[in-house]
Amino acid sequence: MQAVENKIYQDKIVIRLIQFSVIWAVIAISVGVYIAAELVWPTIDFGQFWLSYGRLRPVHTNGVIFGFGVSALMATGFYSVQRTSHVTLFAPRLAWFVCYAWQLIVLLGALSLLAGWNTTKEYAELEWPFDIAIAIVWICFGVVFFGTIAKRKIKPIYISNWFYGALIIVIAMLHVVNSLALPVSIDKSYSAYAGAQDAVVQWWYGHNAVGFLLTGGFLGMVYYFLPKIAGRAIWSYRLSVVAFWAFVYAYIWAGPHHLHYNAIPEWVQSLGVVMSVILLAPSWATLVNGVMTVSTAWEKLRTDPALKFIVLSLAFYGLATFEGPMMAIRSVNVVSHFTDWTIGHVHSGALGWNAMITYGTFYFLVPRLAGRELHSTRLANLHFWLAFAGTMLYIIAMWAAGVSQGLLWLSIDSIGELSFDFKDIMASMTPYYLLRLIAGLVFLLGTVLMAYNLFMTLKGQRAVKVTPPAVDPAYGVNA
Amino acid sequence: MSSNISSLTLFRSLYQPQQAFAELARAEPSSLRIFLSYSLWLLLLPPVFSLIGAANFGWRLGADQPLFMTTNTLLIISAGYFVALLFGLFSTAIISRWMAKTYGASVSLGRHMALITMVGQPLAIASAAHLFPDVLVNVLVLIPATIWGMYLLYSGIPVALETPPERGMLMASALMAWLLVAVVSLLGISMSLWVLGVGPLLGV
Amino acid sequence: MNGLTFHRKIEENTGLLIFGILFVSAIGGLVQLLPVLTQESLETASANTRPYTAVELTGRDIYMRENCVVCHSQQIRPLIAEVERYGPYSRAGEFVYDRPFMWGSKRTGPDLHRIGGKYSDDWHRLHLLDPRAVVPNSIMPAYPWLAERDAIETGNITNKLTVLRRLGHPYTDEQIANAEADLEGLTEMDALIVYLQMLGTGFSEEDAGMQGGAH
Repeated sequence: MQAVENKIYQDKIVIRLIQFSVIWAVIAISVGVYIAAELVWPTIDFGQFWLSYGRLRPVHTNGVIFGFGVSALMATGFYSVQRTSHVTLFAPRLAWFVCYAWQLIVLLGALSLLAGWNTTKEYAELEWPFDIAIAIVWICFGVVFFGTIAKRKIKPIYISNWFYGALIIVIAMLHVVNSLALPVSIDKSYSAYAGAQDAVVQWWYGHNAVGFLLTGGFLGMVYYFLPKIAGRAIWSYRLSVVAFWAFVYAYIWAGPHHLHYNAIPEWVQSLGVVMSVILLAPSWATLVNGVMTVSTAWEKLRTDPALKFIVLSLAFYGLATFEGPMMAIRSVNVVSHFTDWTIGHVHSGALGWNAMITYGTFYFLVPRLAGRELHSTRLANLHFWLAFAGTMLYIIAMWAAGVSQGLLWLSIDSIGELSFDFKDIMASMTPYYLLRLIAGLVFLLGTVLMAYNLFMTLKGQRAVKVTPPAVDPAYGVNA
Repeated sequence: MSSNISSLTLFRSLYQPQQAFAELARAEPSSLRIFLSYSLWLLLLPPVFSLIGAANFGWRLGADQPLFMTTNTLLIISAGYFVALLFGLFSTAIISRWMAKTYGASVSLGRHMALITMVGQPLAIASAAHLFPDVLVNVLVLIPATIWGMYLLYSGIPVALETPPERGMLMASALMAWLLVAVVSLLGISMSLWVLGVGPLLGV
Repeated sequence: MNGLTFHRKIEENTGLLIFGILFVSAIGGLVQLLPVLTQESLETASANTRPYTAVELTGRDIYMRENCVVCHSQQIRPLIAEVERYGPYSRAGEFVYDRPFMWGSKRTGPDLHRIGGKYSDDWHRLHLLDPRAVVPNSIMPAYPWLAERDAIETGNITNKLTVLRRLGHPYTDEQIANAEADLEGLTEMDALIVYLQMLGTGFSEEDAGMQGGAH
């Protein structure tokens, strides 16, 4: 029996992708901590171009999103699509190609950013050779994923797969359209769009990369692993159906809220606000679904640190998905735009939601894949509190910094003259940047503890025990 | 049925939280009594401190020049602050009680009111930092108070509301989500009001 | 057939699901992007806006390479305080030769859209070599390597202009032929400063009535 089950699922690739993901997390967060330190002590780039803030920042963002995030999504996507389809991965060799080719793209991409190859489009900084490589690997990812679904033995496609599917399809669309450019040389191209038009296209991409990768993709993780870890079916199937389509429809409109009061047509801005606010509904529908699913599974918390991370990640998901629409409202945005509040908002999502849900999932998955207990539950619990404290400190520091910047920049006196000099406002941010640096260090420390914990768990790896999920009797297994 | 708990015990939760939580678990106080004898006084502290501080020194958001506002504006802001805190307390207590059923916790509104006030107590007292209205100083003082409040929330729910620690942890996290949203709403509403002309003069 | 049984069809058919996601997600993009991409006023240059010269373009590419845009916006919003601090608010017509746009999303440092002409070339040189020499509390990095590299090495300027002409920027044959000669003898820092000094000078009073920023 054991031997047969081992043949069912391809799990080595899941382990490998988790390893890459954790390595990228440590590297990318370290880079983040370093550039946070540069904002406090600007001379610690030592006059080296490759340590300069401008070159390191996209390494941080690309490392987190495409290294840590996408590797985690590939790992969990491959793991869950096999189990929800009751079949092994379609084209396993192609899957391995996707795994390694993606890591190579992220690694070489990071080096190219250090070398100054940079389109300056946020979250799409990599130059055209990488854009082509990304498109190819991404399509292969889609072939493996949808191929597995196509040969499934369970009739319905489980909800988590819709979110992973939306991730693959929509990101492909966004990437291709936004990256259109005419190459000059291997390291340089000029965008197919110019000025205001380019801005609208870029934030259509930028906002929805966040939407379908950092929100949608990770919701796929929630819909599979939350019920799995909690040992309960998802609270409301109907709600998840409605939430999914509303999410896919509404998210795509909201990009222009990144361009309030900028030189783009006003109707585009207004539409962006309305759809951003509407977006709250599907976002929170999923939140309710998750919270209610987990609320009856409390006994599991006693033994499973994974669930703690997931529970907290939902709290921060609730915050980030509320804060976003709020910051899209023009009267808030006029103060918050261009400030560190934006950075705080991004991190309430990236640290509190994406990283926590991923860490929880890894704490759940790695022991099962390794076929042994987690090396140290105490260490995982310590990591939980470090991650919690680090995230809170980060958010609070950036709220204070952002609100101060926004108000001081706009503040005028009774005769209508500016009250404050820009240089003074900038200089007064240093203490907050120091707090943020500490927050990042605390979060990084937790991540390193996890890397150690998971490494020790994987050491001496034994055969994988597989337990296929229960199938709803309403759906017959074709095989 | 309704048994009371002295406000002194509640105030003591600042440094003897576990005893106070345990005593609260034995009581069924009326929410009105808790509010009048305990919550109200703590809620008054931050607006009063901020009024005194801002009127005398002006807010320093980091830059050299403090931001002075007219007495009228300050009164409006402090009153708004008080109303926001009031709303925060009642909404959180009611939401907490509403959630209690899901998490098998006590549904006595008085207890929820008392517990939420205890959680906020470190922040209310730390708001003495408003007397010196420098944003950085306030952030530095309020961060430890926030952490202490979060500790009280997570450790207090299972004891005071009599639910297993694991369920208490879930409930505390659900409340955390609400509190985070409430705080960020407060930020958003303040920004909107300022942009609309209530508060410091902005060139928008 | 109620909604849920209809939906069961979608969720049992891989092709339908893929098509459904693509269709539903494309609506918003099409409604928003197509009108914007075809709106002529967004492609019409302001009266004083012209394509970047070979030197300016090289400076701009250096600005991109060093990723100045992550800390400096180039977008002045139509707000009293902002116009007072930085100058006339930004109009769409001023950016028609910006590939890509350089508006930014963060102001760790000040907005640079109207920085041109505000400081001397020497000030910029000093500032880029050691920001704290001229702005004591500055947290900007120093860029000493820019002074050591030749602008001509930044990239193939002839190719760049040719590519941009293909994208519709009105460069003359003469401009393209002289491009390399224009860069002769300049360092990367020189080129960057030339770019900074022309920033925001494409503004024209005629734009005030045009579609652009919102009030």
